[in-house]
Amino acid sequence: MANVLEVKELSKQYSKVLAVDKISFDIGEGEIFALIGPNGAGKTTTIRMISTLLTPTSGDAIVAGHSILKAPEKVREAITYLPDEAGAYKQMTGIKYLRFMAGLFTTDIDKLNAYVERAKNICGLGDRLNDKIGSYSRGMIRKLLLARAVMTQPKLAILDEPTSGLDVLNAIEIRKMIKKLAEEEGMSFLLSSHNMLEIEFVSDRIGIISKGHLMVKGRADELKQRYDAPNLEQVFERVVNENEVH
Amino acid sequence: MKFINLLKKELSELINKQMLISLVFILAIFLLMGNVMKSATNEIVSDAANPKINICDMDNTDFTNEMLSYFRSNGTEISSITVTGDDYAEAFRKQKDIKSFVIIPQGFSEAVLSGKKPEILSVGKLRSLSAFSSMTGGTDGTVSLLNGYVSLKLAEQQGISKEDLGTIEAPLTVKEHTVVADKSAEVSLSFISGKMLMQNMLLPMVVLILIMMTSQSLIASISNEKIDKTLETLLSAPVSRGSVITAKMLAAAIAALLNAGVMMIGFSSYTKGMMGSMTSDITSALPADTVDNAKESVSSMLSSGDAMRQLGLTLGAADYLLIGVQLFITIMICLAISIILGALVNDSKSAQTMLLPIMMMVMIPWIVTLLADVNSLPTAAKLIIWAIPFTHTFTAMPNLMFGNYAEFWGGLIYQIIFFAVVMFFALKLFKSDKILTISLNLGQKSRFKKSRKTNED
Repeated sequence: MANVLEVKELSKQYSKVLAVDKISFDIGEGEIFALIGPNGAGKTTTIRMISTLLTPTSGDAIVAGHSILKAPEKVREAITYLPDEAGAYKQMTGIKYLRFMAGLFTTDIDKLNAYVERAKNICGLGDRLNDKIGSYSRGMIRKLLLARAVMTQPKLAILDEPTSGLDVLNAIEIRKMIKKLAEEEGMSFLLSSHNMLEIEFVSDRIGIISKGHLMVKGRADELKQRYDAPNLEQVFERVVNENEVH
Repeated sequence: MKFINLLKKELSELINKQMLISLVFILAIFLLMGNVMKSATNEIVSDAANPKINICDMDNTDFTNEMLSYFRSNGTEISSITVTGDDYAEAFRKQKDIKSFVIIPQGFSEAVLSGKKPEILSVGKLRSLSAFSSMTGGTDGTVSLLNGYVSLKLAEQQGISKEDLGTIEAPLTVKEHTVVADKSAEVSLSFISGKMLMQNMLLPMVVLILIMMTSQSLIASISNEKIDKTLETLLSAPVSRGSVITAKMLAAAIAALLNAGVMMIGFSSYTKGMMGSMTSDITSALPADTVDNAKESVSSMLSSGDAMRQLGLTLGAADYLLIGVQLFITIMICLAISIILGALVNDSKSAQTMLLPIMMMVMIPWIVTLLADVNSLPTAAKLIIWAIPFTHTFTAMPNLMFGNYAEFWGGLIYQIIFFAVVMFFALKLFKSDKILTISLNLGQKSRFKKSRKTNED
């Protein structure tokens, strides 16, 4: 399985704070990798560096064969990024938003139409797509943004807290959708989440990050076995507490 | 193609229904104000055309009756006012359409005929604080008519002819000349400065509103994207940061031009209503017996257009082009500063506060240039005012008119350098991590300081 993402000793220093310290991991084709950690652990900074939004202080990441340092524009062609609690342009209708975002990925009108058609099917918003986004519920916006993030069939979709703020049924629907896209279309995902149940259900491998360090990584059952814990939540608690002690 | 997509999105955000409605509203307000001004000036003109005086003749002698019939025979309409005792307010209550009146008290004729200085009473009502209402409400016209008539009678008593009286009253023939730079014209200085003040109010007002609206829209555009995190989505898409920011700037500039156009139309209709045909109407409307001096001074107004041209106070096509260039640079400076201010925002509250620095940078030079000539300020004050880039926009038109080309070009070059420096930092900021990480949250900072102080205590 070829790697879609290879993170090599990535670090980020904000004036006095070392937010991310030499993190390394990789994601294979069709794999769902989840980055979990307490608030302020460095998840979002790592994700933003891979998305080419922030420049690493040291290290590099290779996305679909392109370095985030040397060819960020090539990286942006291969990824899509959905920030945590992201909004959309409230004045636009859902369909206009999809067309606008698709227009940033392609100038070919047929491709653009295909992307929008795909997003329409995935989000399941039907006629509500003709309404202004300002009138959408939080769940509807999240579905629209997720559909936008996967409509271009990126090599790597980076989703920060993909189900945050959603009700149980919507969250289940989205988890299923992510799994289906990975299995059937070979799309790779880098997720971050606080919801251990979600992580256990959806991800192939997990990385636990604390105070900027990637403490452990592996499959959910491997980690549970290693820490002799009945669930991922306890694994997480032990890993984070160990790091606090050290 | 991707750039057009970005530009279309920015334009659709800026030029929306709300903006169009507000433009129509602004235009309607100006048209309405123009009409109000027109009716106010029409009132002045009609008052001048149909002189009407209100007199309460308490003396009621042959002399006063002869005087009033003399006024009537010269086309002046006289309405007789009744006043009981000294209750002047009652007169206004009884006759609602009058604004003022003059009382000729008992003994007036006797005083005139015995060569003494008679007394008259002038009563006016303050109806509102508006400038135009007090312009038409006074008794000056009535008093000057009475003065003229009494002088004439006194002169007759002394055996002085009407012509000689004219010479005694105004022995000097004043020919006023005004000099601007190296040109001069036969025109009153006060008239030219009055007219210039009216004309020069237009451009600074438009510049002021233009800068405010442009900054506000760009700051809002960047800060909203930051707050909603749509900026992160946008910057992680395969488009360059340069094209994202250029699309934002271009859209803000287009919206600003649209605003400026509408405001120029509105303002010109307003000033037309205000100035309009006022001077020429007044002149043609003046009655035949108006004192010659007054007539002369008013008729000099007619040649004001020629005088302004002679003085070089009208701008040619090249001057307008230069002012256009300066306005363009002004907008660009304003956009560059707005990018930096927009980037500092991290909540909608601070987005409002961020407009304050630009407001200060515009209001200070606007007020200073309105009240004083920047070039003649003390050196230290002049340098401070000159350091504010928008000062040079406000002084551009007077500098061109008064031939201060060194100041004009110096100002323009300073603005270009200022723009280049601010734009360099704005682009550097937008292309760096700071666009997502920088923020200026004064409230939080002060809370932090407060809590630290409490802990230390």
